[in-house]
Amino acid sequence: MGDHLARADDFEKKAEKKLSGWGLFGSKYEDAADLFDKAANSYKLAKSWDQAGAVYVKLAECHLKLDSKHEAANAYADAAHCYKKTNTKESISCLEQSVNMFLDIGRFNMSARYYKEIAELCEQEQNLEQAIAYYEKAADLFQSEEVTTSANQCKQKIAQFAAQLEQYQKAIEIYEEIAQHSLNNNLLKYGVKGHLLNAGICQLCKNDVVAINNALERYQDLDPTFSGTREYKLLADLATAIDEEDVAKFTDAVKEFDSMTQLDSLKTTLLLRVKEALKAKELEEDDLT
Amino acid sequence: MSAVFEGYEKQYCELSANLSKKCSSASLLDGEQKKQKISEIQSGLDTAEALIRKMDLEARGLQPNIKAVLLVKLREYKSDLNNLKSEVKRIASTNLDQAARDDLLEAGMADTLAVSANQRDRLLMSTERLNNSSNRIRESRKVMLETEELGVSLLHDLHQQRQSLLHANNTMHGVDDNISRSKKIIGNISRRMDRNKWIIGAIITVLVIAIAVILYFKLSK
Repeated sequence: MGDHLARADDFEKKAEKKLSGWGLFGSKYEDAADLFDKAANSYKLAKSWDQAGAVYVKLAECHLKLDSKHEAANAYADAAHCYKKTNTKESISCLEQSVNMFLDIGRFNMSARYYKEIAELCEQEQNLEQAIAYYEKAADLFQSEEVTTSANQCKQKIAQFAAQLEQYQKAIEIYEEIAQHSLNNNLLKYGVKGHLLNAGICQLCKNDVVAINNALERYQDLDPTFSGTREYKLLADLATAIDEEDVAKFTDAVKEFDSMTQLDSLKTTLLLRVKEALKAKELEEDDLT
Repeated sequence: MSAVFEGYEKQYCELSANLSKKCSSASLLDGEQKKQKISEIQSGLDTAEALIRKMDLEARGLQPNIKAVLLVKLREYKSDLNNLKSEVKRIASTNLDQAARDDLLEAGMADTLAVSANQRDRLLMSTERLNNSSNRIRESRKVMLETEELGVSLLHDLHQQRQSLLHANNTMHGVDDNISRSKKIIGNISRRMDRNKWIIGAIITVLVIAIAVILYFKLSK
């Protein structure tokens, strides 16, 4: 390990010398870039991520001087990967630079993928709004490249965060759109009821009873098999429970569904919110009466 | 003399009727009463036997023609008596059996209580088994739903991979086009290189010839 560190140091110094000295035929940048590459590799082997990241950034600058944007963008991406292990903000900034360069070249696929990575990093830091912004950019780029699955994935994440941040209308629209799209595809149609369930729960969170029933009917039209599923039954039960403002019935319906399939964290949070709202309404009514 | 015989005959008839009645009644009774009756019947049988012996003696003392008739009658009475005896014996034996069976069945009467408790146990066990099987069915349903979810995610992954493959396919076609273009360009470059070489060669020869001519003119002046 110390060996790699020493070697990496060596390479870096040589590269710096090359840059600062006189080169023949302007090949100094290429040689320096080579040496920087080797140095960064050795740093990675020695597991000193910060130094590796720094060297990759220098490498990117070399490439920029050589006018090879593609290589520079790749170098920035590598730097970001190194920084991911230690310093997230640096990593995000490196990824952004890389993404910009890819957009310049017109490699939308790569830029979309890196946008997604940035969004995931933001999500890890619980910075949901920024994550949403980046996921949206990524989804747009994926859509323009006709890579609909990744686009759908990004959109799903957006809807999830929107629901957590209580932007229910947006989440509902996204889920319904995804469900519509998945119906046409033989492989995805089995996931439709999951999406409709999520959309339905968001509708419940909005607390608008008429809209809920309309939505349930709409989902019926969308997917004829939906009414036979347990998800539909759950939604119908929850709708009636909210109508009658009966918390016990609500809890029963949720418990029955949970006994068959474990509810994931998003659904649990949303349902908990609905339950709290329902309880509050019940208490309110008791106060009034 | 036959009057004596007839007297004995009448006694015997009464006695045998009495005994048979007692026999039938004894068969209906059981336990101690039965034993009593049986001893009564036994004594009655002894009396009947004595009567038959007396009748026998009388009959032998009479005249031969009446003797024959009387002897026939006597044989009938003897067989009748034997029947009675065998019947009594049968009743006595069944009495013993009956007593033993009664003892056994009384124990059997206590057993029915155990039997009903047994039935309750059996019902409980069957209810428990039904509960177990319904639990297992519910578990299997849960597992089936989990498998279905797994299947959905697998399909999703497959879809993604399909799209990647299609994209790669398209990119490959693009790469193919680019390669053929670059091949043409490289062919162009090599041709131009050749042309340049010939041109330079031609210029050099022209220059060399020019130098030779000038030198020739210089030297010949």
